[in-house]
Amino acid sequence: MSALRSEAAVALAICRKDALSELRGRHATVSTLFFAAVVLLLFGFALGPDSARLAAAAPGLLWLAVVFAGILAMSRLHLLETDDGALEQLALYPVGRRAIYAGKALAGFAAMLLLALLVLGAVGVLFAVDVASAWAPLLATVVLGALGVAAVGTFYAGVTVRLRAREVMLPLLMLPVLAPLLLGAVKATSAALAGDPFGEVAAWLQLMLAFDVVMIVAGAATYGYLLED
Amino acid sequence: MPQTTIYVSPRSLGAPDSRPPAVATTDLARLFAGSAALAGVSLNVEAGRTIALLGPNGAGKTTLLRLLATAIRPSYGRAEVDGLDVDREAHLVRARVAYVSHATGLYDDLTARENLQFAAAMLATPDAAQRVERALADVGLAERAGDRVRDFSAGMRKRLALGRILLGSASLVLLDEPYAALDAEGLQLVDQLLAAWREVGVTVLVASHATDRLGPLLDGAVLLERGVVVRVEGSGATSVAPSLPVARRHSTRAVAP
Repeated sequence: MSALRSEAAVALAICRKDALSELRGRHATVSTLFFAAVVLLLFGFALGPDSARLAAAAPGLLWLAVVFAGILAMSRLHLLETDDGALEQLALYPVGRRAIYAGKALAGFAAMLLLALLVLGAVGVLFAVDVASAWAPLLATVVLGALGVAAVGTFYAGVTVRLRAREVMLPLLMLPVLAPLLLGAVKATSAALAGDPFGEVAAWLQLMLAFDVVMIVAGAATYGYLLED
Repeated sequence: MPQTTIYVSPRSLGAPDSRPPAVATTDLARLFAGSAALAGVSLNVEAGRTIALLGPNGAGKTTLLRLLATAIRPSYGRAEVDGLDVDREAHLVRARVAYVSHATGLYDDLTARENLQFAAAMLATPDAAQRVERALADVGLAERAGDRVRDFSAGMRKRLALGRILLGSASLVLLDEPYAALDAEGLQLVDQLLAAWREVGVTVLVASHATDRLGPLLDGAVLLERGVVVRVEGSGATSVAPSLPVARRHSTRAVAP
């Protein structure tokens, strides 16, 4: 029990360190939010002014913007560890590898949750979608979606952080893996916005939850190998 | 200004004579892209000794330190720290080793204090708040504790990295070119640290070209060339002739303990 408490303390310290660095440097915030806004606006222009068409496409656009911008955010968060040998120093501390993964994933989750909530609000305004009436299932979808992107993104950002072509490799590795999560999130959002007429939201949320659990367990079990040179 | 007495907190070390060798390597080798950076080093270092690793650039000093710090894994051979295998028991070795390399491992957007607070959390330092302030004072950065590390000079970063060691209770300290980038006060700080660690029985391996400065602070020295030990001087360290074929090819002189 005390080992678990100590791992939790390490994870929280890493998360706090990442949050402080991000608040000071704003490495991820500015570029990620700007990118998400551009994605939404460009898709909006491409679909034209038909409000019914925009509303029908809103769930897909929401999650594409969250995933694309999220990949950027996860990459930037890991780049903090490239400061003057910081990643090697992090690996040399006498702490569990799982705790390091948990700390990085927790910081990623916080960033993704904030991003997804802001993009959801923007979709509501730009595409005239009533997100307030279905807030509970939408919030559950956003939480599970943010957790999934953070779990996968933390692992693959660890894989690519030492690569010169990391900005290219990260989306190539992450997007195929995120496909089931993206499908579940879009379907759950569509159903929630339509008032869940067929009672399918719960099933899609269960799929997302299962995806998150599998990815968190796999990431925690294997992240330590990424820290070895 | 550094205080005259630097606070170092070793684990319960016991008398040096009663302890196993702090470092014991057997045919330790590491290849990078097929080339041997370390070509078969068999070295014993007694506990509580301060030993210099000397040699030209590319001799294998940094590779040896990184292997002992568990930053990289051996390609051949084995290494033990306090009787613990650096490869199979790396998680236990990490609790006993402190390493300061060329890279400082600091976060640019955090302040000096926040960097040490983070290190204290990772090292589970007791009385962390007090120890952090003490370490900042000991390395002469108390007045800059609230400044971001991004604005620090190379010498100040090195001091802060040395301050990080003061938060732990390592029995083996590994220093790679500790005098590099330091001003006169910084040089004195490293001297004081080496003396303080020696006083409490912490083993120190220090790779440096500053042999004149280090001389009086050392028990012995190990000379490396092309990845093998070619000479051992003073007391506290012994080496045997390499047995790996690649090491025999690299070794040009007999090892003289």
